[in-house]
Amino acid sequence: MPLIEAKGLTKKFRQAVKEPGLTGSLKHLFTRQYRDKMAVDHIDLSVEAGESVAYLGPNGAGKSTTIKMLTGILVPTEGRLIVDGLVPHEKRQQNARKMGVVFGQRTQLWWDIPVVESFNLARDMYEIPARRYKENLAEFTELLGLEDFLNIPAGKISLGQRMRADLCMALLHDPMLLYLDEPTIGLDIAVKDSIRRFVRSLVEERGTTVMLTTHDLGDIEDICRRIVIIDNGKIIHDGDLAALKDTYARDRVIHFQLARQPVDMGPICAGLPACEVATDGLRLSVRFDRFEFAAGEIAAAVMPHVEVIDFRIDEPEVEDLIRKVYLGQLSLSVEPKASEAPEAPEAAIEV
Amino acid sequence: MPHMRKYVSIARASLSVIFVYRAGFALNMIGSVFYVVAMFYLWQTIFLGTGALGGFTWPEMKAYLLVAFLLNSLMTWYDEWIMGQDVREGRVATDLARPIDFQAKRFADAVGPIPFELFSALLVGAVVITVFGGIALPADPLHLALFMVSAVLATLLKFAIVYCVSMTAFWTTGMYGIVVARSAIQNLFSGALIPLVFFPGWLQGIAAALPFQGLISTPALTYLGMQDLRTTALMMSIQAVWAVGLLVLGRLLWRGAVRAVTINGG
Repeated sequence: MPLIEAKGLTKKFRQAVKEPGLTGSLKHLFTRQYRDKMAVDHIDLSVEAGESVAYLGPNGAGKSTTIKMLTGILVPTEGRLIVDGLVPHEKRQQNARKMGVVFGQRTQLWWDIPVVESFNLARDMYEIPARRYKENLAEFTELLGLEDFLNIPAGKISLGQRMRADLCMALLHDPMLLYLDEPTIGLDIAVKDSIRRFVRSLVEERGTTVMLTTHDLGDIEDICRRIVIIDNGKIIHDGDLAALKDTYARDRVIHFQLARQPVDMGPICAGLPACEVATDGLRLSVRFDRFEFAAGEIAAAVMPHVEVIDFRIDEPEVEDLIRKVYLGQLSLSVEPKASEAPEAPEAAIEV
Repeated sequence: MPHMRKYVSIARASLSVIFVYRAGFALNMIGSVFYVVAMFYLWQTIFLGTGALGGFTWPEMKAYLLVAFLLNSLMTWYDEWIMGQDVREGRVATDLARPIDFQAKRFADAVGPIPFELFSALLVGAVVITVFGGIALPADPLHLALFMVSAVLATLLKFAIVYCVSMTAFWTTGMYGIVVARSAIQNLFSGALIPLVFFPGWLQGIAAALPFQGLISTPALTYLGMQDLRTTALMMSIQAVWAVGLLVLGRLLWRGAVRAVTINGG
């Protein structure tokens, strides 16, 4: 049985609609108008123990709402949600014992007291056995480099330090599940890096199941195998990260550095039908579909006509891919590889 | 209680936060010293040339004022404002994601500073006693014991009232007005400003029907032993029923609030 199982999970928010200006406010006093906003719209999601899942989507797509339902904070409007055999919001405390959660935008630490005292509070709140607590605290302190600010109140440490301390706090009770809601937001590269390395080691060494929402695609590539994309409350992609790249990142660009400016482009272009050939001084670039051609074929077609000093191949960045998915330029209705077919929804995205 | 320890730790953390904000706390304390001194002089003038008013002698009135001051000094830190901030800044969500009972956690937060509050209030009380002198002592050891029980009930009741009122934070953002309104009603109907016997009959009727009398009036009158034991027992039972009833109501309101809650952001 999967660790997380959601079927038709839905969260509707009621938003008050107010007309602008004073008259609007007055009107609102007497005739309240509401509009339902579908934050999460009948999603199906199933996560096995030990998986690491990136949960992506533009702002307001429903990521955090999903996480809040999984953690038991929000009560779903409709649908079924089981996390390790429990309905999270019904057994809130039991569910809380099994999970750790880090919200990048707010801290779980007590603002006014030294960081280590927040950890001690976690020990008592989660009823962590003294020995286990000591071991974990020592390990995380070292891995996350917390030593320097353990005795400083959370309100007086930097954002990067705070995030690391928050991660530690969320993990002291050995949760089987870790939810990370934008854990690297606003952090510098070095801190991002250390956090990613740390989370990856959790997945690999402790077998912790990780669910991560982020806007930072570096987080995904470093931590996650599986990628789920949500937009307008609906899941529009669910599959392997590599498969996503394979399926949608068909374009490759091969750049050649030439010794001399080519005299005549005719024969090169003729040898490369259905490819885009561009030159810029001593550089020649060919964009090709890697399912149609192998990179070697392209090189073979170019080499006889020019003298090549160097070349490199550009793979599209995941970032570009995701951007295209958000913008609706990449329709995910295209039947992808068989391995992902069951979970790929048929809905195309509208711009 | 099996899970007591976590709440004890929370209370302890809440107490240490008080020390972080000791300057604010000290200012608060100085303010309340001025207030209690003003009350003493005011009532001294009223009692001038009169032996007793509404059944109170001047030494009894002084004791009443001091007890009122003492009880008002407890649990000052915890009010609806904090709840409002917690809702607005999403800390409620954080608490929901923890293996703790929300009401018990708030209670621990509220109770934590009490040792410190009690200590400072007794200090102020001692100074006032030295300056004014002649304060009525409890009628007898039994009444002192009953007073202590009643004071504990009063503190529970205070928490229960504030907790219930603070649930409005889920529906409104104007917590400041709510704190002010609740404090005003509480000051009037608890007997903190004027003993309830000085009220006209109809107002006494209203006060008797409300929970607030249990905050000051009941414990203060118990201290003075101004009512017979049966009345005292009855008043304390009313106090206890209100405290338990409002604690339960608070839980129900919380459950309703959580159902209704839509935490900002998606």
